[in-house]
Amino acid sequence: MKTINAQLAGCWSLSVLIVCLLTGLKSQAQTVLTVTGEVTKPLTLQTADLTAMAHTQVTGKDRDGKDHQYSGILVVDLLKQAGATVGGELRGENLTKYVIVKAIDGYEVLFALPELDAEFASRSIILADSVDGASLGPGVGPYRIVVPGEKKPARWIREVKSIEVRFAK
Amino acid sequence: MRFWIGSFIVAVVLSGVCAWTVADDPVPAGPYTLLYPASFGGRFTIPADNPMTQEGVYLGRLLFYEPKLSSTQTISCASCHQQARAFTDGLALSIGVHGKTTRRNSMSLTNLLWVRQLFWDGRSTSLEEQALVPLGHTDEMGSKPGEAAKALQKTIPYPVLFKQVFGSDTITDVRISKALAQFERTLISANSRYDQYAAGQYQLTESEQRGMQLFNRSPSPERNVRGGNCAHCHGGAKLFQELFHNNGLDKQATDSGRQAITGLALDQGRFRVPTLRNIALTAPYMHDGRFNSLEKVLDHYSEHIQPSPMLAPELAGQPNGFHLTTGEKTDLISFLRLFTDSTFIHNPQFANPH
Ligand code: HEC
Ligand code: HEC
Repeated sequence: MKTINAQLAGCWSLSVLIVCLLTGLKSQAQTVLTVTGEVTKPLTLQTADLTAMAHTQVTGKDRDGKDHQYSGILVVDLLKQAGATVGGELRGENLTKYVIVKAIDGYEVLFALPELDAEFASRSIILADSVDGASLGPGVGPYRIVVPGEKKPARWIREVKSIEVRFAK
Repeated sequence: MRFWIGSFIVAVVLSGVCAWTVADDPVPAGPYTLLYPASFGGRFTIPADNPMTQEGVYLGRLLFYEPKLSSTQTISCASCHQQARAFTDGLALSIGVHGKTTRRNSMSLTNLLWVRQLFWDGRSTSLEEQALVPLGHTDEMGSKPGEAAKALQKTIPYPVLFKQVFGSDTITDVRISKALAQFERTLISANSRYDQYAAGQYQLTESEQRGMQLFNRSPSPERNVRGGNCAHCHGGAKLFQELFHNNGLDKQATDSGRQAITGLALDQGRFRVPTLRNIALTAPYMHDGRFNSLEKVLDHYSEHIQPSPMLAPELAGQPNGFHLTTGEKTDLISFLRLFTDSTFIHNPQFANPH
Protein backbone atom coordinates (compact mmCIF):
# COMPACT_ATOMS: atom_id res chain seq x y z
CA MET A 1 0.00 0.00 0.00
CA LYS A 2 2.77 2.40 0.93
CA THR A 3 4.62 1.85 -2.32
CA ILE A 4 1.44 2.42 -4.33
CA ASN A 5 0.84 5.67 -2.54
CA ALA A 6 4.43 6.72 -3.07
CA GLN A 7 4.14 5.89 -6.75
CA LEU A 8 0.94 7.82 -7.01
CA ALA A 9 2.46 10.79 -5.29
CA GLY A 10 5.38 10.48 -7.69
CA CYS A 11 3.16 10.49 -10.77
CA TRP A 12 1.23 13.36 -9.32
CA SER A 13 4.15 15.64 -8.76
CA LEU A 14 5.67 14.69 -12.11
CA SER A 15 2.48 15.56 -13.96
CA VAL A 16 2.08 18.74 -11.95
CA LEU A 17 5.59 19.64 -13.00
CA ILE A 18 4.84 18.96 -16.67
CA VAL A 19 1.68 21.03 -16.56
CA CYS A 20 3.39 23.80 -14.64
CA LEU A 21 6.08 23.83 -17.30
CA LEU A 22 3.46 23.90 -20.05
CA THR A 23 1.42 26.60 -18.38
CA GLY A 24 4.58 28.44 -17.41
CA LEU A 25 5.74 28.56 -21.00
CA LYS A 26 2.33 29.53 -22.29
CA SER A 27 1.50 32.02 -19.59
CA GLN A 28 4.29 34.37 -20.67
CA ALA A 29 1.76 36.04 -22.90
CA GLN A 30 -1.48 34.64 -21.51
CA THR A 31 -4.16 36.73 -19.85
CA VAL A 32 -4.74 35.33 -16.37
CA LEU A 33 -7.30 37.81 -15.06
CA THR A 34 -9.75 40.29 -16.52
CA VAL A 35 -11.52 43.12 -14.70
CA THR A 36 -14.46 44.34 -16.74
CA GLY A 37 -18.01 45.67 -16.62
CA GLU A 38 -18.95 49.02 -15.07
CA VAL A 39 -15.36 50.30 -15.13
CA THR A 40 -13.64 53.07 -17.07
CA LYS A 41 -10.45 51.10 -17.87
CA PRO A 42 -11.09 47.37 -18.35
CA LEU A 43 -8.02 45.33 -17.40
CA THR A 44 -6.51 42.25 -19.00
CA LEU A 45 -3.70 41.20 -16.70
CA GLN A 46 -0.86 38.74 -17.04
CA THR A 47 0.95 36.94 -14.26
CA ALA A 48 3.76 39.52 -14.20
CA ASP A 49 1.28 42.42 -13.83
CA LEU A 50 -0.27 40.82 -10.78
CA THR A 51 3.08 39.85 -9.26
CA ALA A 52 4.18 43.47 -9.53
CA MET A 53 1.16 44.87 -7.65
CA ALA A 54 1.30 45.66 -3.94
CA HIS A 55 0.59 42.59 -1.82
CA THR A 56 -1.27 42.43 1.48
CA GLN A 57 -1.07 39.60 4.04
CA VAL A 58 -4.16 38.25 5.75
CA THR A 59 -4.90 35.30 8.01
CA GLY A 60 -7.89 33.11 7.31
CA LYS A 61 -9.37 29.73 8.23
CA ASP A 62 -9.71 27.34 5.30
CA ARG A 63 -11.97 24.27 5.20
CA ASP A 64 -9.41 22.38 7.26
CA GLY A 65 -10.35 24.69 10.17
CA LYS A 66 -6.74 25.90 10.52
CA ASP A 67 -5.38 29.42 10.20
CA HIS A 68 -3.27 30.11 7.13
CA GLN A 69 -1.29 33.11 5.99
CA TYR A 70 -2.43 34.32 2.60
CA SER A 71 -0.72 36.93 0.50
CA GLY A 72 -2.35 38.71 -2.41
CA ILE A 73 -3.70 41.85 -3.99
CA LEU A 74 -6.53 43.80 -2.36
CA VAL A 75 -9.53 43.34 -4.64
CA VAL A 76 -10.32 47.01 -4.17
CA ASP A 77 -6.89 47.89 -5.63
CA LEU A 78 -7.78 45.99 -8.80
CA LEU A 79 -11.11 47.81 -8.92
CA LYS A 80 -9.38 51.18 -8.44
CA GLN A 81 -6.95 50.42 -11.22
CA ALA A 82 -9.87 49.58 -13.50
CA GLY A 83 -11.64 52.80 -12.59
CA ALA A 84 -14.60 51.31 -10.75
CA THR A 85 -16.58 53.62 -8.46
CA VAL A 86 -14.90 52.85 -5.16
CA GLY A 87 -13.72 55.16 -2.35
CA GLY A 88 -15.28 58.63 -2.53
CA GLU A 89 -17.45 57.64 -5.49
CA LEU A 90 -19.11 54.81 -3.65
CA ARG A 91 -22.42 56.50 -2.87
CA GLY A 92 -25.81 57.14 -4.42
CA GLU A 93 -26.72 54.72 -7.17
CA ASN A 94 -23.19 53.29 -7.09
CA LEU A 95 -24.24 51.54 -3.90
CA THR A 96 -26.35 49.23 -6.05
CA LYS A 97 -23.25 47.91 -7.81
CA TYR A 98 -21.82 44.47 -7.22
CA VAL A 99 -18.95 42.34 -8.36
CA ILE A 100 -19.21 38.85 -9.91
CA VAL A 101 -16.06 36.79 -9.53
CA LYS A 102 -15.80 33.84 -11.93
CA ALA A 103 -13.60 30.76 -11.78
CA ILE A 104 -12.18 28.57 -14.53
CA ASP A 105 -14.60 25.78 -13.53
CA GLY A 106 -17.60 28.10 -13.96
CA TYR A 107 -18.21 28.72 -10.23
CA GLU A 108 -19.37 32.27 -9.54
CA VAL A 109 -19.73 34.36 -6.38
CA LEU A 110 -20.92 37.86 -5.68
CA PHE A 111 -19.69 40.72 -3.50
CA ALA A 112 -21.42 44.06 -3.07
CA LEU A 113 -18.97 46.91 -3.73
CA PRO A 114 -19.05 48.19 -0.11
CA GLU A 115 -17.92 44.75 1.11
CA LEU A 116 -14.67 45.32 -0.75
CA ASP A 117 -14.11 49.00 -0.05
CA ALA A 118 -11.78 49.93 2.81
CA GLU A 119 -13.95 52.94 3.76
CA PHE A 120 -16.84 50.58 4.49
CA ALA A 121 -15.39 47.21 5.42
CA SER A 122 -13.06 46.48 8.29
CA ARG A 123 -11.70 43.29 6.71
CA SER A 124 -9.45 43.10 3.67
CA ILE A 125 -10.67 40.82 0.89
CA ILE A 126 -7.76 39.78 -1.29
CA LEU A 127 -7.02 37.95 -4.50
CA ALA A 128 -4.46 35.58 -3.01
CA ASP A 129 -1.58 34.12 -5.00
CA SER A 130 0.16 32.34 -2.15
CA VAL A 131 -0.59 30.49 1.05
CA ASP A 132 1.91 30.03 3.87
CA GLY A 133 4.64 31.20 1.50
CA ALA A 134 3.92 28.73 -1.30
CA SER A 135 1.96 29.28 -4.52
CA LEU A 136 -1.57 27.88 -4.58
CA GLY A 137 -1.85 24.24 -5.67
CA PRO A 138 -3.71 22.65 -8.60
CA GLY A 139 -7.46 23.16 -8.46
CA VAL A 140 -6.98 26.15 -6.12
CA GLY A 141 -4.63 28.55 -7.87
CA PRO A 142 -3.19 30.41 -9.49
CA TYR A 143 -5.56 32.91 -7.81
CA ARG A 144 -8.11 32.54 -5.06
CA ILE A 145 -10.29 35.04 -3.22
CA VAL A 146 -9.77 35.02 0.54
CA VAL A 147 -12.38 36.62 2.81
CA PRO A 148 -10.84 36.76 6.31
CA GLY A 149 -13.32 36.20 9.11
CA GLU A 150 -16.10 34.77 6.94
CA LYS A 151 -17.36 31.70 8.82
CA LYS A 152 -17.88 29.54 5.74
CA PRO A 153 -15.25 29.70 2.98
CA ALA A 154 -17.76 29.18 0.14
CA ARG A 155 -16.94 32.60 -1.35
CA TRP A 156 -13.22 31.83 -1.24
CA ILE A 157 -13.53 31.10 -4.91
CA ARG A 158 -10.65 29.13 -6.39
CA GLU A 159 -9.09 29.35 -9.88
CA VAL A 160 -10.32 32.96 -10.29
CA LYS A 161 -10.25 34.12 -13.89
CA SER A 162 -12.41 37.24 -14.02
CA ILE A 163 -13.94 40.03 -11.98
CA GLU A 164 -16.89 41.90 -13.41
CA VAL A 165 -18.57 44.98 -11.94
CA ARG A 166 -22.31 45.22 -12.58
CA PHE A 167 -25.27 47.37 -11.70
CA ALA A 168 -28.24 45.69 -10.03
CA LYS A 169 -30.98 46.31 -12.56
CA MET B 1 -30.65 21.45 -0.07
CA ARG B 2 -33.56 23.71 -0.88
CA PHE B 3 -37.11 22.52 -0.97
CA TRP B 4 -39.72 24.05 -3.12
CA ILE B 5 -43.03 24.63 -1.53
CA GLY B 6 -45.20 23.33 -4.28
CA SER B 7 -45.68 26.78 -5.68
CA PHE B 8 -45.06 27.09 -9.37
CA ILE B 9 -43.69 30.24 -10.87
CA VAL B 10 -45.64 31.41 -13.81
CA ALA B 11 -43.59 33.42 -16.21
CA VAL B 12 -45.71 34.98 -18.84
CA VAL B 13 -43.45 35.92 -21.64
CA LEU B 14 -45.01 38.76 -23.51
CA SER B 15 -45.02 38.36 -27.18
CA GLY B 16 -43.72 41.02 -29.52
CA VAL B 17 -45.49 39.32 -32.34
CA CYS B 18 -49.18 40.10 -32.39
CA ALA B 19 -51.20 37.01 -31.80
CA TRP B 20 -53.69 36.97 -34.56
CA THR B 21 -56.11 34.14 -34.82
CA VAL B 22 -57.42 33.12 -38.15
CA ALA B 23 -60.85 31.50 -38.12
CA ASP B 24 -60.66 27.69 -38.26
CA ASP B 25 -56.96 27.84 -37.44
CA PRO B 26 -55.92 24.96 -35.22
CA VAL B 27 -52.52 26.55 -34.46
CA PRO B 28 -52.52 27.89 -30.90
CA ALA B 29 -51.54 31.54 -30.63
CA GLY B 30 -50.53 34.09 -28.02
CA PRO B 31 -47.80 34.42 -25.40
CA TYR B 32 -46.44 31.14 -24.05
CA THR B 33 -46.52 30.59 -20.29
CA LEU B 34 -43.56 28.77 -18.80
CA LEU B 35 -44.33 26.71 -15.71
CA TYR B 36 -41.59 25.67 -13.31
CA PRO B 37 -41.05 25.19 -9.58
CA ALA B 38 -39.96 28.28 -7.63
CA SER B 39 -36.87 26.38 -6.45
CA PHE B 40 -35.54 26.27 -10.02
CA GLY B 41 -35.14 30.03 -9.90
CA GLY B 42 -35.44 32.70 -12.53
CA ARG B 43 -31.83 32.84 -13.68
CA PHE B 44 -32.43 32.60 -17.41
CA THR B 45 -32.82 34.97 -20.31
CA ILE B 46 -35.05 34.72 -23.30
CA PRO B 47 -33.55 36.70 -26.18
CA ALA B 48 -35.49 39.91 -26.83
CA ASP B 49 -35.64 39.07 -30.54
CA ASN B 50 -37.17 35.65 -29.91
CA PRO B 51 -40.03 35.97 -27.43
CA MET B 52 -41.92 32.76 -26.66
CA THR B 53 -45.27 32.35 -28.31
CA GLN B 54 -47.58 29.36 -28.53
CA GLU B 55 -47.37 29.43 -32.32
CA GLY B 56 -43.56 29.59 -32.10
CA VAL B 57 -43.40 26.57 -29.79
CA TYR B 58 -45.85 24.72 -32.06
CA LEU B 59 -43.66 25.36 -35.10
CA GLY B 60 -40.48 24.51 -33.17
CA ARG B 61 -41.89 21.13 -32.25
CA LEU B 62 -42.79 20.35 -35.88
CA LEU B 63 -39.25 21.30 -36.90
CA PHE B 64 -37.64 19.26 -34.12
CA TYR B 65 -39.26 16.15 -35.59
CA GLU B 66 -38.74 17.19 -39.25
CA PRO B 67 -36.35 14.98 -41.28
CA LYS B 68 -36.54 17.51 -44.15
CA LEU B 69 -34.04 19.57 -42.17
CA SER B 70 -31.28 17.09 -43.07
CA SER B 71 -29.50 16.90 -46.43
CA THR B 72 -30.76 13.33 -46.94
CA GLN B 73 -34.23 14.12 -45.54
CA THR B 74 -33.80 11.14 -43.22
CA ILE B 75 -32.58 12.55 -39.92
CA SER B 76 -34.30 14.94 -37.55
CA CYS B 77 -33.17 16.39 -34.24
CA ALA B 78 -35.28 13.66 -32.66
CA SER B 79 -33.16 10.91 -34.26
CA CYS B 80 -30.44 11.68 -31.72
CA HIS B 81 -32.71 13.24 -29.09
CA GLN B 82 -35.57 10.77 -28.41
CA GLN B 83 -38.23 11.67 -25.87
CA ALA B 84 -38.45 8.14 -24.40
CA ARG B 85 -34.74 8.40 -23.50
CA ALA B 86 -35.06 11.93 -22.08
CA PHE B 87 -33.93 13.20 -25.49
CA THR B 88 -30.79 11.10 -25.89
CA ASP B 89 -30.31 8.19 -28.32
CA GLY B 90 -28.93 5.22 -26.42
CA LEU B 91 -25.68 5.22 -28.41
CA ALA B 92 -22.15 5.92 -27.22
CA LEU B 93 -21.69 8.16 -30.25
CA SER B 94 -24.55 9.23 -32.50
CA ILE B 95 -24.79 8.55 -36.21
CA GLY B 96 -25.37 11.35 -38.71
CA VAL B 97 -26.50 11.58 -42.34
CA HIS B 98 -23.32 10.05 -43.78
CA GLY B 99 -23.28 7.10 -41.41
CA LYS B 100 -20.29 8.45 -39.54
CA THR B 101 -20.32 8.87 -35.78
CA THR B 102 -20.34 12.18 -33.93
CA ARG B 103 -17.33 13.16 -31.86
CA ARG B 104 -19.24 13.01 -28.58
CA ASN B 105 -22.23 11.43 -26.84
CA SER B 106 -25.67 12.94 -27.45
CA MET B 107 -26.88 15.13 -24.60
CA SER B 108 -30.19 15.02 -22.78
CA LEU B 109 -32.36 18.03 -23.67
CA THR B 110 -33.85 18.84 -20.29
CA ASN B 111 -34.28 22.14 -18.47
CA LEU B 112 -32.25 23.85 -21.19
CA LEU B 113 -33.97 27.10 -20.23
CA TRP B 114 -31.38 27.39 -17.44
CA VAL B 115 -28.29 26.30 -19.38
CA ARG B 116 -26.10 29.20 -20.40
CA GLN B 117 -23.15 27.38 -21.97
CA LEU B 118 -24.31 24.59 -24.23
CA PHE B 119 -22.51 21.41 -25.38
CA TRP B 120 -20.06 19.23 -23.49
CA ASP B 121 -17.46 21.96 -23.79
CA GLY B 122 -19.82 24.91 -23.28
CA ARG B 123 -18.97 26.41 -26.66
CA SER B 124 -22.41 27.76 -27.54
CA THR B 125 -24.16 30.48 -25.57
CA SER B 126 -27.71 30.33 -26.88
CA LEU B 127 -30.14 27.72 -28.13
CA GLU B 128 -30.68 29.84 -31.25
CA GLU B 129 -26.96 29.68 -32.08
CA GLN B 130 -26.69 26.04 -31.01
CA ALA B 131 -29.40 24.71 -33.35
CA LEU B 132 -27.45 25.83 -36.43
CA VAL B 133 -24.58 23.52 -35.46
CA PRO B 134 -26.28 20.10 -35.88
CA LEU B 135 -28.20 21.48 -38.86
CA GLY B 136 -25.00 22.12 -40.78
CA HIS B 137 -22.56 19.57 -39.36
CA THR B 138 -21.55 16.90 -41.89
CA ASP B 139 -21.70 14.20 -39.20
CA GLU B 140 -25.15 15.29 -38.06
CA MET B 141 -27.78 16.70 -40.43
CA GLY B 142 -25.36 17.87 -43.12
CA SER B 143 -27.45 20.71 -44.58
CA LYS B 144 -25.57 23.46 -46.39
CA PRO B 145 -26.52 27.00 -45.33
CA GLY B 146 -30.02 27.78 -46.60
CA GLU B 147 -30.60 24.22 -47.87
CA ALA B 148 -33.06 23.18 -45.14
CA ALA B 149 -34.88 26.51 -45.41
CA LYS B 150 -35.24 25.99 -49.15
CA ALA B 151 -36.64 22.45 -48.65
CA LEU B 152 -39.25 23.75 -46.21
CA GLN B 153 -40.14 26.70 -48.41
CA LYS B 154 -41.31 24.21 -51.06
CA THR B 155 -43.82 22.57 -48.72
CA ILE B 156 -47.45 23.61 -48.27
CA PRO B 157 -47.72 24.03 -44.47
CA TYR B 158 -44.39 25.57 -43.46
CA PRO B 159 -44.52 28.97 -45.23
CA VAL B 160 -47.96 29.57 -43.65
CA LEU B 161 -46.65 28.64 -40.21
CA PHE B 162 -43.55 30.83 -40.51
CA LYS B 163 -45.81 33.71 -41.47
CA GLN B 164 -47.87 33.13 -38.34
CA VAL B 165 -44.79 33.06 -36.12
CA PHE B 166 -42.47 35.61 -37.74
CA GLY B 167 -44.87 37.76 -39.74
CA SER B 168 -43.26 36.69 -43.00
CA ASP B 169 -43.43 33.48 -44.99
CA THR B 170 -39.76 33.64 -45.94
CA ILE B 171 -38.04 30.68 -44.30
CA THR B 172 -34.44 31.15 -43.18
CA ASP B 173 -32.00 29.09 -41.13
CA VAL B 174 -32.12 31.75 -38.42
CA ARG B 175 -35.92 31.54 -38.18
CA ILE B 176 -35.72 27.74 -38.06
CA SER B 177 -33.27 27.99 -35.16
CA LYS B 178 -35.47 30.52 -33.35
CA ALA B 179 -38.53 28.27 -33.50
CA LEU B 180 -36.47 25.24 -32.42
CA ALA B 181 -35.12 27.23 -29.47
CA GLN B 182 -38.65 28.17 -28.41
CA PHE B 183 -39.68 24.52 -28.34
CA GLU B 184 -36.53 23.47 -26.49
CA ARG B 185 -37.15 26.06 -23.75
CA THR B 186 -40.42 24.28 -22.95
CA LEU B 187 -38.68 20.94 -22.21
CA ILE B 188 -38.95 21.28 -18.45
CA SER B 189 -38.63 18.25 -16.18
CA ALA B 190 -39.80 18.93 -12.62
CA ASN B 191 -41.95 15.99 -11.61
CA SER B 192 -39.61 13.15 -10.70
CA ARG B 193 -39.92 11.28 -7.41
CA TYR B 194 -37.04 13.43 -6.24
CA ASP B 195 -39.09 16.59 -6.91
CA GLN B 196 -42.08 15.01 -5.18
CA TYR B 197 -39.88 14.17 -2.19
CA ALA B 198 -38.63 17.77 -2.08
CA ALA B 199 -42.25 18.95 -2.14
CA GLY B 200 -43.13 16.65 0.76
CA GLN B 201 -45.24 14.35 -1.40
CA TYR B 202 -43.05 11.26 -1.45
CA GLN B 203 -41.35 9.35 1.31
CA LEU B 204 -37.92 7.90 0.66
CA THR B 205 -37.29 4.20 1.28
CA GLU B 206 -34.43 3.43 3.65
CA SER B 207 -32.12 2.57 0.78
CA GLU B 208 -32.99 5.82 -1.04
CA GLN B 209 -32.43 7.74 2.18
CA ARG B 210 -28.95 6.23 2.59
CA GLY B 211 -28.27 6.88 -1.09
CA MET B 212 -29.21 10.54 -0.66
CA GLN B 213 -26.79 10.91 2.23
CA LEU B 214 -23.96 9.43 0.18
CA PHE B 215 -24.90 11.75 -2.69
CA ASN B 216 -24.91 14.87 -0.53
CA ARG B 217 -22.04 14.28 1.87
CA SER B 218 -18.39 14.86 1.46
CA PRO B 219 -16.42 11.96 3.00
CA SER B 220 -14.62 12.58 6.26
CA PRO B 221 -12.81 9.51 7.60
CA GLU B 222 -11.84 11.35 10.84
CA ARG B 223 -15.50 11.91 11.66
CA ASN B 224 -16.50 8.54 10.23
CA VAL B 225 -18.66 10.15 7.56
CA ARG B 226 -19.14 8.27 4.29
CA GLY B 227 -19.95 10.20 1.16
CA GLY B 228 -19.50 10.52 -2.58
CA ASN B 229 -19.62 14.32 -2.74
CA CYS B 230 -21.87 14.06 -5.82
CA ALA B 231 -24.03 17.05 -4.85
CA HIS B 232 -21.00 19.34 -5.00
CA CYS B 233 -21.20 19.08 -8.79
CA HIS B 234 -24.59 17.51 -9.50
CA GLY B 235 -26.76 18.86 -6.66
CA GLY B 236 -29.51 21.44 -6.26
CA ALA B 237 -33.18 21.44 -7.14
CA LYS B 238 -32.45 21.13 -10.86
CA LEU B 239 -29.76 18.46 -10.27
CA PHE B 240 -27.58 20.65 -12.43
CA GLN B 241 -24.81 23.12 -11.73
CA GLU B 242 -23.16 24.82 -14.62
CA LEU B 243 -19.58 23.80 -13.89
CA PHE B 244 -16.71 22.41 -15.93
CA HIS B 245 -14.64 19.67 -14.39
CA ASN B 246 -12.37 16.75 -15.01
CA ASN B 247 -13.85 13.78 -13.17
CA GLY B 248 -10.83 11.56 -13.61
CA LEU B 249 -11.82 9.46 -16.62
CA ASP B 250 -8.28 9.45 -18.02
CA LYS B 251 -4.81 10.29 -16.82
CA GLN B 252 -4.19 11.95 -20.15
CA ALA B 253 -7.40 13.10 -21.85
CA THR B 254 -7.56 12.36 -25.59
CA ASP B 255 -10.36 14.92 -26.07
CA SER B 256 -9.11 18.26 -24.78
CA GLY B 257 -12.71 19.35 -24.00
CA ARG B 258 -13.07 22.81 -22.54
CA GLN B 259 -9.44 23.67 -23.31
CA ALA B 260 -10.18 23.90 -27.04
CA ILE B 261 -12.63 26.71 -26.25
CA THR B 262 -10.75 28.72 -23.62
CA GLY B 263 -7.15 27.96 -24.57
CA LEU B 264 -6.32 27.51 -20.89
CA ALA B 265 -3.96 24.66 -20.00
CA LEU B 266 -5.92 24.17 -16.77
CA ASP B 267 -9.03 23.35 -18.82
CA GLN B 268 -7.46 20.26 -20.42
CA GLY B 269 -9.93 17.36 -20.33
CA ARG B 270 -12.59 19.32 -18.49
CA PHE B 271 -16.21 18.94 -19.58
CA ARG B 272 -19.49 20.47 -18.54
CA VAL B 273 -21.04 18.67 -15.62
CA PRO B 274 -24.13 17.08 -17.20
CA THR B 275 -27.55 17.13 -15.58
CA LEU B 276 -28.50 14.01 -13.61
CA ARG B 277 -32.21 14.47 -14.41
CA ASN B 278 -33.56 11.23 -15.90
CA ILE B 279 -30.09 9.75 -15.57
CA ALA B 280 -31.42 6.17 -15.49
CA LEU B 281 -32.79 6.75 -19.01
CA THR B 282 -29.76 8.32 -20.67
CA ALA B 283 -27.12 5.58 -20.88
CA PRO B 284 -24.44 5.31 -22.14
CA TYR B 285 -22.67 7.86 -19.99
CA MET B 286 -19.91 10.49 -20.16
CA HIS B 287 -18.88 12.72 -23.08
CA ASP B 288 -17.72 9.70 -25.07
CA GLY B 289 -20.39 7.28 -23.87
CA ARG B 290 -17.78 4.95 -22.35
CA PHE B 291 -19.96 3.53 -19.56
CA ASN B 292 -23.11 1.65 -20.51
CA SER B 293 -24.65 1.45 -17.03
CA LEU B 294 -24.95 3.38 -13.80
CA GLU B 295 -23.14 0.50 -12.10
CA LYS B 296 -20.10 1.20 -14.27
CA VAL B 297 -20.32 4.92 -13.50
CA LEU B 298 -20.25 4.15 -9.80
CA ASP B 299 -17.35 1.73 -10.25
CA HIS B 300 -15.53 4.66 -11.81
CA TYR B 301 -16.19 7.06 -8.92
CA SER B 302 -15.53 4.28 -6.44
CA GLU B 303 -12.32 2.71 -7.72
CA HIS B 304 -11.05 4.07 -11.04
CA ILE B 305 -10.64 7.84 -10.75
CA GLN B 306 -7.42 8.68 -12.61
CA PRO B 307 -5.15 11.22 -10.96
CA SER B 308 -3.99 14.19 -13.03
CA PRO B 309 -3.29 17.84 -12.28
CA MET B 310 -6.69 18.74 -13.82
CA LEU B 311 -8.67 16.32 -11.64
CA ALA B 312 -11.30 18.22 -9.62
CA PRO B 313 -10.11 18.68 -6.01
CA GLU B 314 -13.37 17.17 -4.67
CA LEU B 315 -12.46 13.90 -6.38
CA ALA B 316 -8.74 13.98 -5.67
CA GLY B 317 -9.07 13.47 -1.93
CA GLN B 318 -8.68 9.69 -1.82
CA PRO B 319 -6.60 7.60 -4.19
CA ASN B 320 -8.70 6.35 -7.13
CA GLY B 321 -12.10 7.07 -5.62
CA PHE B 322 -14.52 6.81 -2.75
CA HIS B 323 -14.24 3.02 -2.30
CA LEU B 324 -17.96 2.45 -1.92
CA THR B 325 -19.20 -0.91 -0.68
CA THR B 326 -21.61 -2.98 -2.78
CA GLY B 327 -24.44 -1.93 -0.47
CA GLU B 328 -23.51 1.73 -0.80
CA LYS B 329 -23.49 1.45 -4.58
CA THR B 330 -26.97 -0.13 -4.50
CA ASP B 331 -28.22 2.69 -2.27
CA LEU B 332 -26.76 5.40 -4.49
CA ILE B 333 -28.28 3.86 -7.60
CA SER B 334 -31.70 3.62 -5.96
CA PHE B 335 -31.39 7.33 -5.18
CA LEU B 336 -30.30 8.18 -8.76
CA ARG B 337 -33.36 6.32 -10.04
CA LEU B 338 -35.57 8.86 -8.24
CA PHE B 339 -34.50 11.41 -10.84
CA THR B 340 -36.58 9.71 -13.54
CA ASP B 341 -39.52 11.89 -14.53
CA SER B 342 -42.03 9.71 -16.34
CA THR B 343 -44.43 12.60 -16.96
CA PHE B 344 -41.62 14.31 -18.88
CA ILE B 345 -40.94 11.40 -21.20
CA HIS B 346 -44.65 10.83 -21.77
CA ASN B 347 -45.70 14.47 -22.07
CA PRO B 348 -47.80 14.64 -25.28
CA GLN B 349 -46.67 18.27 -25.77
CA PHE B 350 -43.15 17.03 -26.42
CA ALA B 351 -44.04 14.07 -28.66
CA ASN B 352 -43.74 13.69 -32.42
CA PRO B 353 -46.55 15.83 -33.92
CA HIS B 354 -46.29 14.52 -37.49
C1 HEC C 1 -26.54 12.99 -35.34
C2 HEC C 1 -27.05 13.18 -34.02
C3 HEC C 1 -27.62 14.52 -33.63
C4 HEC C 1 -28.58 15.25 -34.27
C5 HEC C 1 -29.26 14.94 -35.59
C6 HEC C 1 -28.82 16.39 -33.44
N1 HEC C 1 -28.05 16.36 -32.32
FE1 HEC C 1 -28.10 17.64 -30.78
N2 HEC C 1 -26.49 16.76 -29.96
C7 HEC C 1 -25.86 15.65 -30.47
C8 HEC C 1 -24.58 15.47 -29.82
C9 HEC C 1 -23.57 14.36 -30.11
C10 HEC C 1 -24.46 16.51 -28.87
C11 HEC C 1 -23.24 16.81 -28.00
C12 HEC C 1 -22.20 17.44 -28.92
C13 HEC C 1 -21.02 18.12 -28.27
O1 HEC C 1 -21.08 18.50 -27.11
O2 HEC C 1 -20.01 18.29 -28.96
C14 HEC C 1 -25.69 17.29 -28.98
C15 HEC C 1 -25.98 18.40 -28.19
C16 HEC C 1 -27.13 19.15 -28.31
C17 HEC C 1 -27.51 20.24 -27.43
C18 HEC C 1 -26.74 20.73 -26.22
C19 HEC C 1 -27.42 20.35 -24.91
C20 HEC C 1 -26.72 20.86 -23.69
O3 HEC C 1 -27.15 20.54 -22.58
O4 HEC C 1 -25.73 21.59 -23.80
C21 HEC C 1 -28.69 20.75 -27.90
C22 HEC C 1 -29.49 21.90 -27.32
C23 HEC C 1 -29.03 19.99 -29.08
N3 HEC C 1 -28.08 19.02 -29.29
C24 HEC C 1 -30.14 20.25 -29.87
C25 HEC C 1 -30.30 19.69 -31.14
C26 HEC C 1 -31.25 20.19 -32.13
C27 HEC C 1 -32.19 21.37 -31.94
C28 HEC C 1 -31.11 19.40 -33.23
C29 HEC C 1 -31.82 19.54 -34.56
C30 HEC C 1 -31.62 20.78 -35.28
C31 HEC C 1 -30.10 18.41 -32.91
N4 HEC C 1 -29.63 18.63 -31.66
C32 HEC C 1 -29.72 17.40 -33.78
C33 HEC C 1 -26.35 14.84 -31.48
C34 HEC C 1 -27.28 15.24 -32.39
C1 HEC D 1 -16.03 17.50 -9.27
C2 HEC D 1 -17.30 17.39 -9.89
C3 HEC D 1 -18.03 16.06 -9.88
C4 HEC D 1 -18.35 15.26 -8.79
C5 HEC D 1 -17.99 15.50 -7.35
C6 HEC D 1 -19.11 14.17 -9.31
N1 HEC D 1 -19.26 14.29 -10.66
FE1 HEC D 1 -20.36 13.10 -11.88
N2 HEC D 1 -19.70 14.14 -13.49
C7 HEC D 1 -18.86 15.23 -13.46
C8 HEC D 1 -18.44 15.56 -14.81
C9 HEC D 1 -17.52 16.70 -15.22
C10 HEC D 1 -19.06 14.63 -15.66
C11 HEC D 1 -18.89 14.52 -17.18
C12 HEC D 1 -17.50 13.98 -17.45
C13 HEC D 1 -17.17 13.68 -18.88
O1 HEC D 1 -18.02 13.19 -19.63
O2 HEC D 1 -16.02 13.93 -19.26
C14 HEC D 1 -19.85 13.74 -14.79
C15 HEC D 1 -20.65 12.71 -15.26
C16 HEC D 1 -21.46 11.93 -14.44
C17 HEC D 1 -22.44 11.00 -14.92
C18 HEC D 1 -22.77 10.71 -16.38
C19 HEC D 1 -23.78 11.71 -16.88
C20 HEC D 1 -24.09 11.59 -18.35
O3 HEC D 1 -25.14 12.12 -18.75
O4 HEC D 1 -23.32 11.00 -19.10
C21 HEC D 1 -23.04 10.43 -13.83
C22 HEC D 1 -24.15 9.39 -13.82
C23 HEC D 1 -22.40 11.00 -12.67
N3 HEC D 1 -21.46 11.92 -13.08
C24 HEC D 1 -22.71 10.67 -11.37
C25 HEC D 1 -21.99 11.11 -10.27
C26 HEC D 1 -22.12 10.56 -8.95
C27 HEC D 1 -23.07 9.46 -8.55
C28 HEC D 1 -21.23 11.23 -8.16
C29 HEC D 1 -20.90 10.97 -6.70
C30 HEC D 1 -20.36 9.67 -6.44
C31 HEC D 1 -20.56 12.22 -8.99
N4 HEC D 1 -21.04 12.10 -10.27
C32 HEC D 1 -19.63 13.13 -8.54
C33 HEC D 1 -18.46 15.91 -12.34
C34 HEC D 1 -18.59 15.43 -11.05
